[in-house]
Amino acid sequence: MVAVVVAVVAVAVAKVLRALSLNKTYALPSGNVTALQNFSYDFKAAKVTAIVGPSGSGKSTLLNLLAGLDSPSTGTIYLNETNLGQLSEAARAELRLKHFGFVFQSFNLLNILTAWQNVAFPMGLAGETLQKRKAHAEALLKRFGLGERLHHLPYKLSGGERQRVALARALANNPDVIFADEPTGNLDSKSGSIVLDALFEVAAEGRTVIIVTHNLELAKRAHELIFLSDGKLTNAPTNLSELALT
Amino acid sequence: MIWSLAFSALSRRPIRTFLTALGIAVAVGSMVIFLSLGEGLRKAFASQIGSIGPDLQVSFGDFDASASFTMLPELPAYYLTELRQKSSEFGIKRATPLLSHFRAGLSPSNSFVFQGLPPEENLADLFSGFKLNEGRSLSIEDETSEVALIGAQVAKRSQLTLGRQLRLNGDYSFEIVGIVSSSEGIVDNSIIVPLKSLQAALGITDKLSFITLDLDEPSRAAETAKKLKAAYPDLGFQTRADVLGVLEQGVKVTDVVRLGISTIALIVGAIAVANTMMMSVFERTREFGVVRAIGARPRFLFGLVLGEALLLSFVGAVAGVILGRLGMIAVNAISINLIGLEVAALTLRLVIFAVAVAFLMGLVSGLVPAFRAARISIATAMARE
Repeated sequence: MVAVVVAVVAVAVAKVLRALSLNKTYALPSGNVTALQNFSYDFKAAKVTAIVGPSGSGKSTLLNLLAGLDSPSTGTIYLNETNLGQLSEAARAELRLKHFGFVFQSFNLLNILTAWQNVAFPMGLAGETLQKRKAHAEALLKRFGLGERLHHLPYKLSGGERQRVALARALANNPDVIFADEPTGNLDSKSGSIVLDALFEVAAEGRTVIIVTHNLELAKRAHELIFLSDGKLTNAPTNLSELALT
Repeated sequence: MIWSLAFSALSRRPIRTFLTALGIAVAVGSMVIFLSLGEGLRKAFASQIGSIGPDLQVSFGDFDASASFTMLPELPAYYLTELRQKSSEFGIKRATPLLSHFRAGLSPSNSFVFQGLPPEENLADLFSGFKLNEGRSLSIEDETSEVALIGAQVAKRSQLTLGRQLRLNGDYSFEIVGIVSSSEGIVDNSIIVPLKSLQAALGITDKLSFITLDLDEPSRAAETAKKLKAAYPDLGFQTRADVLGVLEQGVKVTDVVRLGISTIALIVGAIAVANTMMMSVFERTREFGVVRAIGARPRFLFGLVLGEALLLSFVGAVAGVILGRLGMIAVNAISINLIGLEVAALTLRLVIFAVAVAFLMGLVSGLVPAFRAARISIATAMARE
């Protein structure tokens, strides 16, 4: 009986990201372009979900919509019971700050800030004290093997190190969902492998990890796979090596 | 956090930041110099009027500060006799006639203010801290003589010495018989000659510029002025405060002109700040997109960009006040050499005004870039290379 109760509580606590009938159309001078069509999916906690597909298939558009960086033309996105479409700009920013973390292909660290300051930045936005920010940032960076790089500016770090700083920053406010857009795209295989291991480690902690990638190895390792083609969710080929992702 | 980020962002582009701050500094500095002239004039007027000494000044009609030296004397001399006759009625201790004449030269060193006074007057009673530096003073025997006492600053500026002739016009010259000074008064920049001699030189015998009145009860000057005005409606009676007030009005007019000129420099400075901030926002579009993506509210970016503009303006304002102070030192060096007066003064209210104007400039010029940064589309910004 106790075990059942614990399980129910765990399900209730775990944040689930749900996309319902998402469509995104861009109005261009040359005419309307549909980037995403009728996309629905439940992203699960503690799972790494890879979004794959050829260039122009709508992967980045989907990631932007799920992360609340852009609004769908039609359709709804829920984080548990919260409908992102009904939130004000400020409330959406608050939601991203406290529930989402981001890792980008080109790292996108603030180059005027040191490694620990970059990690502490989202905590500052959330109103944490400097002491707490610094302590937590240092702990996160040490976790990813960057204890000796705390005070380095981004340009003094290697690509792999920068991406680990970015991952530490993504975890700063203990988010429920991590969005990663080609996190290994600019890394050599060794650095890429370290970053991927870290992302899977993060998912194992109970977070939802959503990765847009061209990386076949990553796609194979992912717990769930979304294959997009021409903006539509389609069945991935049985043999992943047949994917034409470029 | 915003201020440290704003500071870091400005430090990242030191040359651009320096040049923009320099533009603001030049704008604020020029404003400080222009406006300090007004402050200097106010100080000079206050000390000059304070040292003239009369409790009341009598003019023909209302007092016009701008015309007092340049207009021909209009006050009929018989009023002096009348006022002296009624001195006990109005509590007048002493009534002194004064004839002022400004002789304009091609340069300040050749321009003089002649003050015609009765030679029997004790000048120490009229000018506080009056001192005879060289030669002799005037006496009753000089009533119709063409002799002059010159102020120490006049002597220094125009390199005049005892015994030299001072030409008033083609027919009249005055021999310098004494060099005088006062604590910080108008005497230093005047030439005092016998009243009748000056009247003769100007071809007028029955007109004065002013009559100065010393009262038995100086504290009741305003009340006495009202009584006198009722008795002599054609005349104007000014207390020291009235005279200062009229002069203040004149300075205020010049304030507007000088502020107008300064505004042009300020507008140029504001455009420089706006340009720098717009360029900065444009160049950092992707960075701002990232900041928004990770959870910053639009108002954070608004505050950040505005903070940068204000910081830039503050640095420019501080540098501008320093620059203005240096400029004032140069202006005063020139003015002391020419007219013996410090015409520029840096007061606290001027510093506060300059910094406030610079802040306002930063605020106004930073608003549009700040709005632009706050309204950035995250997805579009992130897609920018």
